Amino acid sequence: MSQGVMSTGEGMRIFPDVEACIDCGGCVVACKRTWDREIQNQRIDITTMAEGIAGPQGENAAKVDPLIAGENPGETSLPMQCYHCENAPCVSVCPTNALQKEEDGFVTVQDDLCVGCQYCLSGCPFGAPQFPDSNDGSAQLFGTGGIMDKCTGCRPRQEAGKGPACAEECATDAILVGSAGEISDELEKRGSGSFFNDQAMEIIFGEEDAQLFQDYNPDQ
Amino acid sequence: MTNLDHGKFSRVTTMFHSLLALTVFVLFFTGYAIAFNTELWWMVELMGGNRGVLSIHRLAGFALILLTGFWVPYMLIRSASRSNFREVLPDLRADAAAFVQDVKFALGRADERHPNARQFAGYKADEVPLLSYVGKGVIWIFTVELLLLMISGLLIWRKTWLIDFYNSQSVAMAFVAFHGLLGVIMLMGVLFHTFEHGFHPAFYPIEMKAFLPKDQTPNFHGNPDEYETTGIERLRLRPSWRWATNVVAVLVVVGIVSVLVASLDYGGYPVPETLAFNEGSVLRTIGINIGMFVLLLGLLLSVYGNVLRARYLRQRRERAATGTTAADGGEPASRDEPGTSGTDDG
Repeated sequence: MSQGVMSTGEGMRIFPDVEACIDCGGCVVACKRTWDREIQNQRIDITTMAEGIAGPQGENAAKVDPLIAGENPGETSLPMQCYHCENAPCVSVCPTNALQKEEDGFVTVQDDLCVGCQYCLSGCPFGAPQFPDSNDGSAQLFGTGGIMDKCTGCRPRQEAGKGPACAEECATDAILVGSAGEISDELEKRGSGSFFNDQAMEIIFGEEDAQLFQDYNPDQ
Repeated sequence: MTNLDHGKFSRVTTMFHSLLALTVFVLFFTGYAIAFNTELWWMVELMGGNRGVLSIHRLAGFALILLTGFWVPYMLIRSASRSNFREVLPDLRADAAAFVQDVKFALGRADERHPNARQFAGYKADEVPLLSYVGKGVIWIFTVELLLLMISGLLIWRKTWLIDFYNSQSVAMAFVAFHGLLGVIMLMGVLFHTFEHGFHPAFYPIEMKAFLPKDQTPNFHGNPDEYETTGIERLRLRPSWRWATNVVAVLVVVGIVSVLVASLDYGGYPVPETLAFNEGSVLRTIGINIGMFVLLLGLLLSVYGNVLRARYLRQRRERAATGTTAADGGEPASRDEPGTSGTDDG
């Protein structure tokens, strides 16, 4: 098991370590291969900001410290997927109940309830909702987007005690899976920060657990 | 002689009214199937399933925009329609007085209704305006509601037009909440409108004025002062009117209340905390389905009105051919135009 995967199943959280991500695309390939997704369907994708630009401390330096200091962190890569948020905005805005926050913490989408209104796309701050059928026939004509598809958190794998394919495959253990406490401890141990702002952290972890990440101060 | 026996709509307006009804009913059935999918799961399947329901809703939305986009300029261009327009404008003083007097009348503090509330009350045409304040209200309320529904619907469809404003969860939800709230409010109007024009004792089961153009409606050409009464007493009340009216009145009230209660249950206005609807209750499911049944009744009545018109025009042509008197007892009209019937039956 990858070192990024600390515990799986009920109550799991999934979160990126931007200091570790090197934009190799291993997670994208692992996801597509595991779930047999077509080429344009991105359940996980790596977003690279300020590509080719070095931060004040040079290339490959820490990203979070300068960001907290209000400086340009330089080129930063971030594996983006569904973080199965505690306060999931997509679940709040879904008019048909197709999106559910399950009791075990996973955010699931019911294919037979989704009408393709794409409100989850407006609601999600992380770009997780994908619409692979949006170019088909009437969906394209009326802009309904077809049925929404997103990262499942590899729920069946997690129930079997395995980590998500992306996290297992990650060469640098940049995708952390476990409880909020385990993830914040691991980030602290590595000297990494959360990179997300407070508002995003409260959406992902909930108000209470988001506090765990605020204790981190890279200057100490 | 009475305002019951002269027409109200032009030929184009009867056509527009039927097409508008058809479009609005499709929009209601698809929109409600999406919003109350827990209670109307069967309607989602009937309306194209979860993969098609939104396409049909949007298609009907475009149809509504095209329809009103044609009709409104047409009304403004035709001089005859422009003169009618004055009839529709609210007379603030008299209409407000009529409303106040109606409230008093309902409370038993007024002996009779104001002339501006007597569209259906059987008074002579020269005594009351063609449209009561309720009739004017229906037109203006529907106009404003449809306009706001079209605008908010377009913005929901094309989120990117306002992408700069779609930067918070509340704003994203406000659009759907506003659109849905308007839909709920308009449902009340549509159910009321169906009940008002379908179950008046003089018209039951349908008021033909909405389906028969003015130029083909029998008119009274005598001197109203020569007659004591309006002739309304000569109408025969259908035996089924009493129970049908009571049943539909109950269904209208249950439908409206259920939809309102369900909407409130699903979160606070103007912006609900969440659009994720909870599990439905049996009572709410029955109530909302009753509301949809009354909507269906409205659609069926609209179709039936067109059937009656076609039947009436055919009878007139047959009578004109055999040289008998026309339906209003006068000379058969020579203005019958072939090919007008059966073009848009349902």
